[in-house]
Amino acid sequence: MLDPREPIIRFEHASFGFPGLIALKDISLAIYDGEFVGVIGPNGSGKTTLCRAVLGLLAPVEGHLHIFDCACNELRCHHRAKIGYLPQKGVVDRNFPVTVLETVMMGRYGALGLFKRPGKKDRDIAQEALAQVGMDSHKNHALGQLSGGQQQRVFIARALAQQPKVLILDEPTTGLDITAQHNVIELVQQLHDELKLTVLLITHDINMIRSRVDRLVLLKTRLFAAAPPAEVLKPEILHQVYGKDLVITEKDLVIVEDYHHHH
Amino acid sequence: MLDLLAYDFMQRSLLAAAIVGGLCSVIGVFVVLRGLAFVGAGTSHAAFAGVTLGYLMGWPPLLLAIVFGLATVWITGWVEERGRMKLDVSIGILYTATMALGILFIGLMKNYNAEVYGYLFGSVLSVTPEELSVIGALTVLVLGLLLLFSKELYFIAFDQEMAEASGVPARQIFFLLLTLVALTVVVSLKTVGAILVFAMILIPASTAYQLTHSLATLTLYSATIGIFTSIAGVLISAFWDVPSGPAIVLLATTIFFIAVFFSPKRERRTRLVHTH
Repeated sequence: MLDPREPIIRFEHASFGFPGLIALKDISLAIYDGEFVGVIGPNGSGKTTLCRAVLGLLAPVEGHLHIFDCACNELRCHHRAKIGYLPQKGVVDRNFPVTVLETVMMGRYGALGLFKRPGKKDRDIAQEALAQVGMDSHKNHALGQLSGGQQQRVFIARALAQQPKVLILDEPTTGLDITAQHNVIELVQQLHDELKLTVLLITHDINMIRSRVDRLVLLKTRLFAAAPPAEVLKPEILHQVYGKDLVITEKDLVIVEDYHHHH
Repeated sequence: MLDLLAYDFMQRSLLAAAIVGGLCSVIGVFVVLRGLAFVGAGTSHAAFAGVTLGYLMGWPPLLLAIVFGLATVWITGWVEERGRMKLDVSIGILYTATMALGILFIGLMKNYNAEVYGYLFGSVLSVTPEELSVIGALTVLVLGLLLLFSKELYFIAFDQEMAEASGVPARQIFFLLLTLVALTVVVSLKTVGAILVFAMILIPASTAYQLTHSLATLTLYSATIGIFTSIAGVLISAFWDVPSGPAIVLLATTIFFIAVFFSPKRERRTRLVHTH
């Protein structure tokens, strides 16, 4: 089942962007079934673009992108339902009238396709997804009344309701308190382990994920590294991307700071 | 009152009001959730411009209303998608431009035409059997499409990008919604008029929004409020001999403020403020 030699996502010299703006340039990267990959890089480095590309929301302007066994040189690939996605946290209107279960059921809609009504099977899948994130007791609550961490869990459950092979999370911990951040990452790790999901996790918090991921992908428009954390988190590599404001202590602890740090 | 109900015209207008009230309040759910309120207002004025051109040229007014309404929503949707301009700016320009066209077309008419003003202010009591069948047919079409694509429409109303990412053809569904808004406006022109149709779309859904945390319940409440206020408004209108459009809209507005006052959401907010 977990053939580490079989890439399920393959970028071949792929570039993405719009006329006059290249967001990602000449990316060659293979992601294997069952991998836990952390995507890091400064703001504006193309991390979200990478997600959108994998989701088929953005076609390469140069090069190729293969997902599963489908060449995604065109938009509107039908592989999308196989990829669960947690977008960067927008502001959820606290009064938007939707219950937790209704939110998770939306995860079934893409997989069901047009003209099909969700049935008991879909409700069961949604309930199970809620149980997997530990929110099943909240299913009839209003989404807007939950805490930020609970809302993220519900959105992860919505992604799971698609019964995806790949889970993409775009900065899932941003804006959460420290306990909630830890819980969300813990949940992602658990889903990766138990459901054998391939996970792409975008984050700024390198410390939080470095002991958990199989590989780190370091981006700044170009791909600077895609290797196990110990090989990526080296001063000479990080310096190229983050510049001076990054310090690595002897214990390999990475600190990103806004100001120049003196030893 | 029962004498009044025996009249054909009264039965027709009650039926027309119930149909239009129900249709507007159901489409209103998606309009309110997707943040298209201003689009509804713009479309109704564009449709009115179509009606005036129809009377000026002797072409079928409702057909031109559909053409003008659809052109407005599609241009608006296209502009938003391209990210060229904020939605409220583009619709604001089209809104006023089409209204200017409407006034121009009225000015070009040789004679004063009272029927044109009927489309501006609505006259549900004068709905003819032919108009009622057009209203009925368009309503069946719009409600049918709403029902067929309801899960996709709810999804894009909540989060269009997420919907697209999970495989829903979100852009096409968005344009379908815009098209249905335009058709709804045209259906309602004769009964409530270009100025007030916007209220019929907005108020029932906004009222229901105050009362529930569930999408399914929201739609049910909105439709109930829309149908009830329309029928009650027509009865008030016939009884006290006041114009029907304002009777419906003012009744709906009253219920809206009552709902805001007694909203469970309002209570919860207040409690949160107090505990902090």
